[in-house]
Amino acid sequence: MNNAIETHDLAYRAGKHFEIAGLGLTVREGSMYGFLGPNGSGKTTTIRLLLGMLRPRRGTISMLGRSVPRDMPEILGETGYVPERPHLYPYLTVSEATRLHAAFYRSFDAAYAADLQRRFGLRADHRISHLSKGEVGKLHVLLALAQRPRLLILDEPTDGLDPVVRRDVLAALVDFCSQGTTTVFISSHLVHELERICDWIGILDEGNLVAELPMAEFKNGIKRLRVVRAPAVVTGAPFVVLSREPSDGEQTWVVRGWEPRMAEWLSTANAELREVVDLDLEEGFVELLRVSRVPAA
Amino acid sequence: MYRQILYVQWCALRLPVVLLGVLAFALPLLTVTYGGGLEGAPPGQVAQWLYAAQQIGQLVPYVAMLAGVLLGIGSWAPDHAGKHVYALSLPVTRARYVWLRFAAGTTLLLVPVTAIGIGALVATVSVRLPSGVHAYPLALTARFLLAAFVCYAIFFTIAISTRRAALAVLGGIGGLLLADAVLWGFGVGATVTPTVFMWLTNWPGPLSILIGRWALFDV
Repeated sequence: MNNAIETHDLAYRAGKHFEIAGLGLTVREGSMYGFLGPNGSGKTTTIRLLLGMLRPRRGTISMLGRSVPRDMPEILGETGYVPERPHLYPYLTVSEATRLHAAFYRSFDAAYAADLQRRFGLRADHRISHLSKGEVGKLHVLLALAQRPRLLILDEPTDGLDPVVRRDVLAALVDFCSQGTTTVFISSHLVHELERICDWIGILDEGNLVAELPMAEFKNGIKRLRVVRAPAVVTGAPFVVLSREPSDGEQTWVVRGWEPRMAEWLSTANAELREVVDLDLEEGFVELLRVSRVPAA
Repeated sequence: MYRQILYVQWCALRLPVVLLGVLAFALPLLTVTYGGGLEGAPPGQVAQWLYAAQQIGQLVPYVAMLAGVLLGIGSWAPDHAGKHVYALSLPVTRARYVWLRFAAGTTLLLVPVTAIGIGALVATVSVRLPSGVHAYPLALTARFLLAAFVCYAIFFTIAISTRRAALAVLGGIGGLLLADAVLWGFGVGATVTPTVFMWLTNWPGPLSILIGRWALFDV
């Protein structure tokens, strides 16, 4: 399978305190890739690097089989982008902004744009400066979807929107993706939002990619174990211990890559497994970040 | 694409463009108000009228400069406000986008240019000139176009440049003034700013188009 986005050893520095170092992303074509990370982790910077808006210090970026920044106009012609903050010209009306956008994209579907405009409840003659935050967000999504892009990059598209608007936007997104094979790269710090729609997930923290794996593997493989007589040193375990904390004579482990048959390994280590608890994505996300931030001994 | 960019630019700048158009149209007509019924007038009255026409003509390069500056800076103002994110996400090369903006701004510049052309023509046909006095509506319009375009190109370039480049330009101007102040402080006769100004405004300096006679009516 081809990759819609591929970065190798991507490095970028902004000021003294923020750095992306050696970022390697792989987004498969046709996937819905959730790019998860806390505020300030570098999600928007990474997206701007992908879109050629920023120049990396090192590394290579390939999108839709083409090279960034060399083939940028061709790449952007097939890429829909919803920025974190609205950047449309505020003095234009909804229909004027749509016409401007359509002029730049050969694949722009005016009928679909009109349909989305109706579904989103946007009035054609309303000025962007008079729209609410949610309406501007919807307009950005409308423009990106009506391009009929091969790749859709959404930078926190629902951040700050009320639940009703958020549901509208996500429904339109899922509806659009079900019609074709568009790859979606969606960044967010709202874990539950990505859990519902994404099939792959990448977790970024302080400019480093902490994890990149299928959503199913991430959701199913992260467990909290209650272990009695836990071994002091865990070597050769078939799973990854993310954290271990003592509690009431036993230990609580958070592990990744857990499968039921792995309980045998604990038995051979003379430990007793009391309980296996499924962690939701948010808990797994928090644990992963906690572990990634522990300085190496 | 060009048509849409032109429309976007028109929406952003229509008020200054219309005001500049009105001003440019009015200036040549203002000249005529001083010159009604001059046919057969005594030479002293004609000379007085020509002087008045010249005085009004001196305002024309300022209007041309104003048009160039406003449209040059205004062409980029909407993109600056959005930190260029929307522009950079469009599927065109940066050079092509700059040309689209430049071409749209140049087209809008034609509004005051056309207005001064029409105003000059109307003024010319509405007055019966005394013998020896000639009207130069086309020359005035062409000069206005060139002057406005030069100013537009300069300020468009400054507006599109990075903050560092803009600071370098301002720093250069500040440096000249500082150098003059230092020279003056040490009692040295030579001055830098007037020399640079002369170099810029005398042919073949880039701003030489702004200097000289701008009168619609002249001998």
